[in-house]
Amino acid sequence: MAQKEKLLEIKNLKQYFNTGKPNEVKAVDNVSFEIYKGEVMGLVGESGCGKSTTGRTIIRLYDATGGEVLYNGVNVHGKKSKKQLKEFNRKMQMIFQDPYASLNPRLKIADVIAEGIDIHGLAKSKEDRMNQVYELLETVGLNREHANRYPHEFSGGQRQRIGIARALAVQPEFIIADEPISALDVSIQAQVVNLMKQLQKEKGLTYLFIAHDLSMVKYISDRIGVMYFGKMVELAPADVLYKNPLHPYTQSLLSAIPAPDPISERTRKRKSYDPASHNYGDNESIEFREVAPGHFVLCSEKEFKQYQAHYKH
Amino acid sequence: MEKILEVKDLRISFHTFSGEVQAIRGVNFDLYYGETLAIVGESGSGKSVTTKSIMRLLPENNSEIKSGQILFDGKDLTKLKDKDMQKIRGKDISMIFQDPMTSLNPTMKIGNQIMEPLIKHQNMSRHAAKERAIDLLKLVGIPKPEIRVDQYPHQFSGGMRQRVVIAIALACNPKVLIADEPTTALDVTIQAQILELMKDLQKKIDTSIIFITHDLGVVANVADRVAVMYGGKIVEIGTADEIFYNPQHPYTWGLISSMPDMDTDDEELFSIPGTPPDLLEPPKGDAFAPRNPYVMKIDLEQEPPFFKVSDTHYAATWLLHPDAPKVEPPEAVKRRQSQYQGTVGVGNGVALEKDKFPGKKEGK
Repeated sequence: MAQKEKLLEIKNLKQYFNTGKPNEVKAVDNVSFEIYKGEVMGLVGESGCGKSTTGRTIIRLYDATGGEVLYNGVNVHGKKSKKQLKEFNRKMQMIFQDPYASLNPRLKIADVIAEGIDIHGLAKSKEDRMNQVYELLETVGLNREHANRYPHEFSGGQRQRIGIARALAVQPEFIIADEPISALDVSIQAQVVNLMKQLQKEKGLTYLFIAHDLSMVKYISDRIGVMYFGKMVELAPADVLYKNPLHPYTQSLLSAIPAPDPISERTRKRKSYDPASHNYGDNESIEFREVAPGHFVLCSEKEFKQYQAHYKH
Repeated sequence: MEKILEVKDLRISFHTFSGEVQAIRGVNFDLYYGETLAIVGESGSGKSVTTKSIMRLLPENNSEIKSGQILFDGKDLTKLKDKDMQKIRGKDISMIFQDPMTSLNPTMKIGNQIMEPLIKHQNMSRHAAKERAIDLLKLVGIPKPEIRVDQYPHQFSGGMRQRVVIAIALACNPKVLIADEPTTALDVTIQAQILELMKDLQKKIDTSIIFITHDLGVVANVADRVAVMYGGKIVEIGTADEIFYNPQHPYTWGLISSMPDMDTDDEELFSIPGTPPDLLEPPKGDAFAPRNPYVMKIDLEQEPPFFKVSDTHYAATWLLHPDAPKVEPPEAVKRRQSQYQGTVGVGNGVALEKDKFPGKKEGK
């Protein structure tokens, strides 16, 4: 892989809830990874594994308990003036999972989309503002007539397009898409994914794509991270992860996806994952290690050697 | 094979403020003993309404069965009195709902919820019913059933709750089990467990299952036969192999090619343009015509009848008419057809000719 520019560096990110109390939850526990400029990074895992929390902590919807998020070398968390924060918010945007809950039902579509434009003062005049809205609507495959309608007049797929238009309004560099398609019908999912891919190419965007639909993640992502119980257990280029999953949890996750293919379904063997199967000793250090270039696995020293041996074959 | 359930020319409408929504517009299908029939389609295609009408769970104040019959055991379920229906519901026909978080009563111990149908339908004593409830929990794979039986739903995880729901549905050994998106709310790993459990239980107690889902992967995993619904109608029905490897309807083509499989590397995903039809004013001809890239003039004027592809496989598209022009299905579908011809020889039930439209086409 050619040396790519790092857009985002996440270092030992920790997000604990109810800290200090008996019901403390380590939602994100010591997660580190990088996102390169112009790539799509996929994040998968079961519900409750901390993938959404990771996304939300990166964009500072939560204050991190520990660790840092560097965007272009600048720490996202930590003390900032209002102006700095505003600037940062313009570069990073989010698309939410539920298109029914994420649009204010009392605002017209034009105002939903233009909210960011207003806050950041990106429009010179009222006319300019509306022109930007029209342009955005057309970019995401809607009509300019839609600007004066309310959210309830749209279908789920259309609403998700509006959500995308809103994210694009402030001309961001980086978009976090938190399960953007899981609330949509199959035939509409493909439309939205195609749109996101096309926009990425045209505008040179970088995505963090969070989802549990692994086949769609494989399709859209360049690299994929797998999370389990707040920890990143494996990170690799999309093809590698699917062809050569090393961590037993990744293997079990991949073996659980039903394929639209009756013949292979009949012969499918499902693997289940038991965290106790590692048999880690007390003094073994479990770290995120690079087994092969670009392929990281959470493992002990002993497993690390096994995985490396696996690669040589 | 013997039929356990027959749905004949079912038409259902909802009366709303904006007018009459024709949710089901002439649905026909049979369910055989011991089989799993999957119904697939987008939201609003009528799959849930069809099954709710079998259970007679549609709201009485605004829904209307315009015509048709649902025959179960020689009885027409659409004509039964409420009291007689109560004897069938939960006993002979039972249902698993989509969301395990809301389909259990949060204020009742799960044991009591499982015992309810046993006491009602089988006149069991409370004591015997509790024994049976513990057995059922064991059957669906819940550890320590003796303790769990006295717990409340909030003490269970999503996957475990769905197991409880399945236990309730199976309590009276139903002849027909309707599963309405039973795994959609669950994670893939839990989904795989639940699917395995359902297949396993089907073998043990020999029920017929109607499985509603929009996930084609799940369909491939569980179904013997598949019915594809669109705009309130079944547009294609056949065995799982026929639907997945030799689909005929352009909507089925679209569904199958819009799902990326693990080998998809195409630049752009195939997507079906447009949105589902408005059933307030259903289109005159084929409901799929406005989104159909292979649309012909007749699609806009007249609804296509079912054309026979094989003894088990029917599709409602004018493309199967002898006079229709030959069209090339999308790449992904062609890949499947050729792959299928490679793995399954001709004479295995499905006659696949070199011709894209196998078999003799005749109107049904």
